[in-house]
Amino acid sequence: MNKHNILIANRGEIALRIMQACIELGARFTCVYTREDANSEHCTEAMKKGGEKALYRISSYQDPNEIFAVADAAGCTAVHPGYGFFAEDYRFARRAEQRSRKLAFIGPSWNIIQELGDKINTKRLARRLDVPTVPGSDRPIFDDMEAEELATSLFTFQKEIGVHQPVILVKASAGGGGMGIEEVNDLDRFRTVLRRIKNYSKRQFRDEGVLIEQRIFDFNHLEVQILGDKHKGAVHFGTRNCTVQSIGRQKRIEVAPGFDPENISYAFDASKVLEDITEYSLRMAREVGYDSVGTWEWIISPMGHPFLMEVNTRIQVENGVSAIISTINDQEVNLLKEQIRAGLGFELGYDQSDIVFNGVGIEYRILAEDPDNNFTPWVGRIEKFSWTDYPWLRMHTHVPTQRPYDIPTEFDPNLALGIVWGENLDQAKMRGEIFLEKLILQGTNPAGEPLKSNIEFLKSKTRDILVF
Amino acid sequence: MIDTISLLDEIKKAPYKELTVSTPHSGEIEFVVNKAGVKVNGKSGNWGEKPGTLLAYLTREGNKKPIYSPEKGEVVMFHDVQNNQFVQAGTPLLKIRHFLTKQEVIDIILKQTLHLFLAPEKGKYYFVSAIDLKLKAKGLGHVNIKPGDEVLIISRMKRETVLTYEGQPGIIFTIYFNSSESVEAGSPLLGICPRDQLEDIKEVVARIQNSWEEKE
Repeated sequence: MNKHNILIANRGEIALRIMQACIELGARFTCVYTREDANSEHCTEAMKKGGEKALYRISSYQDPNEIFAVADAAGCTAVHPGYGFFAEDYRFARRAEQRSRKLAFIGPSWNIIQELGDKINTKRLARRLDVPTVPGSDRPIFDDMEAEELATSLFTFQKEIGVHQPVILVKASAGGGGMGIEEVNDLDRFRTVLRRIKNYSKRQFRDEGVLIEQRIFDFNHLEVQILGDKHKGAVHFGTRNCTVQSIGRQKRIEVAPGFDPENISYAFDASKVLEDITEYSLRMAREVGYDSVGTWEWIISPMGHPFLMEVNTRIQVENGVSAIISTINDQEVNLLKEQIRAGLGFELGYDQSDIVFNGVGIEYRILAEDPDNNFTPWVGRIEKFSWTDYPWLRMHTHVPTQRPYDIPTEFDPNLALGIVWGENLDQAKMRGEIFLEKLILQGTNPAGEPLKSNIEFLKSKTRDILVF
Repeated sequence: MIDTISLLDEIKKAPYKELTVSTPHSGEIEFVVNKAGVKVNGKSGNWGEKPGTLLAYLTREGNKKPIYSPEKGEVVMFHDVQNNQFVQAGTPLLKIRHFLTKQEVIDIILKQTLHLFLAPEKGKYYFVSAIDLKLKAKGLGHVNIKPGDEVLIISRMKRETVLTYEGQPGIIFTIYFNSSESVEAGSPLLGICPRDQLEDIKEVVARIQNSWEEKE
């Protein structure tokens, strides 16, 4: 490992976690930052743990030339994209692997990203392997008339199966992370929404394709955490429930495992659902030779029918909540370390029977946002940020605790992730409430108004976890 | 109306601005201009299609990118950067002293005389499609807005919010933002001219055109 120098092509808490994973594996690392991030903790830590040569200023996290130029200047052997930016860009992964100064891409092989990173291809592959998917389009639609025709047929289909108030979703096909999705319940409004989504998609992704799907109500949003290597090994690290979301389908609380059949009664056989989605996910992963961490995202209808939504071919924000309930041969799990090992060509060295799940994990995403005003991001200066350490708590943040921090507006508004563990759901919830109660997050914006955060929202939602 | 004569006198006391040329991204630097006192030109042509004086090359990933002088002026100092050194993005290279042009003086005066609609927050701004279409059809100085009108969209943290105009009713006279660039909170977005002051403003512009002498 010590011959490797891994370029961390990301920022914030994920950059910090990758840095820590590199240190624990004995690999060197190089960090990058932009002007807006100069005050971020990931820069401070990079300097502290890697020295001056471990930190480079770049013009943008989204300029591949910047990433490769720094990788060459720093003598890197691999690049870790984190999540967001280039994490699911097969062209970036391909370029890293095929350039004259080759860089190992810490993520799935580029052809796998290309295949599964496309919602349409994923849907087609799933249907070929008898994996259930959400009714709707299986390719991006650009033509308004075609879009309207499909919308009409989805409304008709729902009426035929007895849905009282049919609703469809219009999604930007190039979108992700819950961005660019709107619900529609009649054809007149559909036309307005279609135009709005296309405009949004054109501005944000330079692509006007849309997907149109049936909207399933009162569903549970579950995920299956998969890990594969380059030697055909594939395992899962259980399930997560990501049903607690803010407006715009932004996850706020994630719970592992996805259901708790031992303590909660469901209207369906929850154990079988967990078993099925895990088996379906592994079936697809093995079919494509999946060789990194990845997440299979599922919608579970109120009657317990699973539908595959999409595959995220990257490490996810919520990877820590799966790790906290898992052990490999009695050792703690760090999915970032596993991802790096797999990316550098190492075998997993264990199989599913070596992975044991224990207890319940809850992850809270702490944001400066106003839940009473459509969860609008709050922008300003954080003056005080602190929490109480507990053995059952893992805190991941790029926000400094010893000095003020101006929240940059250019990036995702996540400030911190608090992950708690309990022997069972009740204990995890109780600990979650203790953690949130002791969490201090204060600041002011340029108008002198106090910081708004989602801490109270998270507290109120904790009580309902897994009783959706 | 504002006292433009006093404003002009104030500008004449220091009729220049100093600007730092920095690297737009990382790469290896190779200077073309390498001593202070050199006179440089900014971009020119009807559409700014002719680049300014070549100052340096920045090579990254095998691509040699020229760095041109953004403005007309004189190189007054160099920062401590060596030839063929690998530099990070945003590294300051040199400083240029630039004497204000008529148009720049007009812009300074207009910022003092027009009603400015300021960016409430840092982010990227776009016109709502209705205003955008009107501006494309009629041009600046012909599109009216009033308080309560939906004028702009602010895009930040992957969220888009429609921004309602607050301020005096009037005509969009100047636009200070570019939709591809982030605008700082408090920076002007639009210069709004009340309808009854349009002639006065035009007169101010004409006066500067006649009275300001541009230096070489």
